[in-house]
Amino acid sequence: MSVKKRLFMIFGPIFAAALLMLALFLSPLWSGFSHVNPKVDQNAASSLSPQVLKGQLIKSNALENGYVPFFGSSEWSRFDPFHPSVLASKYHRSYRPFLLGARGSQSLTHFFVMQSINPELKNKKAIVFVSPQWFTPKGEDPNAFSFYYSTLQTTNWIKQQNGSKMDRYAAYRLLQMPSGNSDKILAGALARIAAGLKPTSLQMLYVNLRNRILLNEDQIFSRYRIPFNNEETIAKNRKLLPATYNYPKLDKLAGQIGAEKTNSNDFQISNRFWNHRLKPHVKELKGFQSEMSFLRSPEYGDFQLLLNQFANDHTKVLFIIPPINAKWQKYTGLSAQMMARFDKKIHFQLQSQGFNHIDDLSHDGNVPYFMTDTIHPGWRGWLKMDQAIRPFLTQKVKAPHYKVDNYFYSKQWQNDNGSDGSFEY
Amino acid sequence: MRWYIPYGNPTYFIWLALAIIPLMIGLLYGHRFRGYQTIISLFFLILTFGGHNWKTGISLIGYLVYQLVLVWLYSTYRQRKETTNKGWVFVMAVILAIVPLVIVKVTPLFDAGRQSIIGFMGISYITFKVVQTIMETRDGMIKEFHPVLFGQFLLFFPTISSGPIDRYRRFEADYAKVPAQSDYLDMIQKGVRYIFQGFVYKFVLAYYFGTILMPQIQMRAMMAHGFSWNIIAYMYAYSMDLFFDFAGYSLFAVGISYLMGIKTPMNFNQPFKSKNIKDFWNRWHMTLSFWFRDYIFMRLVFFCMKHHIFKSRTTTANVCYVINMLIMGFWHGETWYYITYGLYHGFAMVINDTWLRFKKKHQKHIPHNKFTELFAIFLTFNVVCFSFLIFSGFLNTLFFAPKPF
Repeated sequence: MSVKKRLFMIFGPIFAAALLMLALFLSPLWSGFSHVNPKVDQNAASSLSPQVLKGQLIKSNALENGYVPFFGSSEWSRFDPFHPSVLASKYHRSYRPFLLGARGSQSLTHFFVMQSINPELKNKKAIVFVSPQWFTPKGEDPNAFSFYYSTLQTTNWIKQQNGSKMDRYAAYRLLQMPSGNSDKILAGALARIAAGLKPTSLQMLYVNLRNRILLNEDQIFSRYRIPFNNEETIAKNRKLLPATYNYPKLDKLAGQIGAEKTNSNDFQISNRFWNHRLKPHVKELKGFQSEMSFLRSPEYGDFQLLLNQFANDHTKVLFIIPPINAKWQKYTGLSAQMMARFDKKIHFQLQSQGFNHIDDLSHDGNVPYFMTDTIHPGWRGWLKMDQAIRPFLTQKVKAPHYKVDNYFYSKQWQNDNGSDGSFEY
Repeated sequence: MRWYIPYGNPTYFIWLALAIIPLMIGLLYGHRFRGYQTIISLFFLILTFGGHNWKTGISLIGYLVYQLVLVWLYSTYRQRKETTNKGWVFVMAVILAIVPLVIVKVTPLFDAGRQSIIGFMGISYITFKVVQTIMETRDGMIKEFHPVLFGQFLLFFPTISSGPIDRYRRFEADYAKVPAQSDYLDMIQKGVRYIFQGFVYKFVLAYYFGTILMPQIQMRAMMAHGFSWNIIAYMYAYSMDLFFDFAGYSLFAVGISYLMGIKTPMNFNQPFKSKNIKDFWNRWHMTLSFWFRDYIFMRLVFFCMKHHIFKSRTTTANVCYVINMLIMGFWHGETWYYITYGLYHGFAMVINDTWLRFKKKHQKHIPHNKFTELFAIFLTFNVVCFSFLIFSGFLNTLFFAPKPF
């Protein structure tokens, strides 16, 4: 055999494989292949898995089939009998929560998550759980952002963006994260968007190509990556509930279970959390939050991205503002005055732009068994929240009239601590 | 600048392909472009030890200078006609060669999980090469010291981070010559096959077992608090991940070496088909286990026999097995589970030998057929998987480590 022929025999199959692979991943035909087993949707809805957050097919499929997006962070992992997912399935509600977010996911992550489900958010409903703890001086942790970062969502967004203030701000923020710089060509496109220019045609060619490949990958594989199943936990908790929904009775039960689960400490913090996380360091934690402030944070700008996208999609949104465990707040010295101002600031940003559905629980931090630990709601807290969530999702809600104000992207707003009474609305 | 774990992502492979094509064309037409090879070696070393990893790059350079000087000194000592081959000089040389590795391995023990500043990725594999060179210099097998050749051998980039552990004389012979065209074409064919087999191993199978399956099982096992079947499931998933990940990596290293005209030895030979534990160590991480066999086990045995430490040969072998494996355990790291893993394999070897002797003596009464062979494979596989469960440290996380929630 000649050298040429041998080389062809060795390398020919590699080139053939490369061509086949390109054909497979660039083919537009996959978009027709979008059936998802309802069981997969169900698992995904409570999986809290970053895979689901970063993907597209499963989420959009679920949201078209009776699931409502619940944007939030670590609170969703606090499953107990009164968790929204448990209540919805136990009492056969017309909606099912699709939990989006886990530890460390904040506004910026959710803005990009929305880029994978914009068509499913149009004129629909959503729940947003706003943690005060997102609004730290540094905003979203770049590592957490990387953990939930999805190039698929970024390219989706670049394809749709039109150079609005929102788009420019999103590009600017993304470039501040290592994820935004991980791909040089995308980073170039982002820099142009942030500067108010259109990406070059070469950059757009790349964006479209990347997007097509990632979309196909998601379309082909994501349904088979069935995430870890919190369904068992939900089923277990469901069994602890009575057959009929009666708020006073359930509230009493929530108090009983709460008392049982928190009997190891005086803060009404769940025994498990207390024993593993707090007990060993409780002495050092006294007063440690006395200097903490949630009033100045880039998170306010990121939160504005979220609101702006909701406004563009005409999504009807219920915002939940949770309290902090009052006993713990006092022990760690977290300023009540600062928290009251935070509450005002968030209200101002929401209401002045027409986001009027707010379930403000910020005063309930001293209600017994309202919180499961230091900052996450539990038993009675979940149940109280349900009093707002259930009517919002099961009854008709008037079409919103949002007036987006770009002032909320400004550094001035991000750093406004309200000392001049500017949050009065 | 970005840095790359060798064979970690597609970009690394694209760099590899581009870099070695000129080298391959040269080899195909009877030339080895040694200067070019040195340049691309440097390039790939910078990819791995540069960027924000530059501190480990400095450590690597420091380490290299240290070992070059050490081997040069020892080689000069051995080559001098008037000196004798003193045992203590040899022992000193070996100890000095191992000192950096020992420091790196022991540092996390004293400074809660901190990594030593003199460490870098692949330090143990280079140390094996150095120690082996010193030992063969003592034996008179290696007669000359070429700092450049020796440096090429230590820093051969396809194998730098995790082996396979080549031998100096073998490497040097390959490096000195250019394979005949038809031989080289065979090597290319094999190399390409190895690399693609590696893709299947590492990016399909290891990905499935390690990235998809394992975290789920791990979570379930943690939730179950205490013993549960999930631990068994974890054991198998982890074993598969360990094998396909490492064997995949080794296939890349061997495949790329072949394309460069260097026949780096194979590391794995279908280990899960082993009929007994000794057979297993002849098929699993072969270059490591042969290194331990040649430079620790055999030398221990000779030492014991020479000084008549034990009366029977059997006892000598048994004690040496355990010490040999124990040292391997310590080499993996100073944790109870690595050391237990070493002891476990040491005793497994002892039991295996005892059984084989017993079987030989009672040949007439013990059946040997297809079925018993299958059973032997099954048993060995499970004994091995259990050892990997110990090795994984998961039992530690499960039962002894503080809970994350």
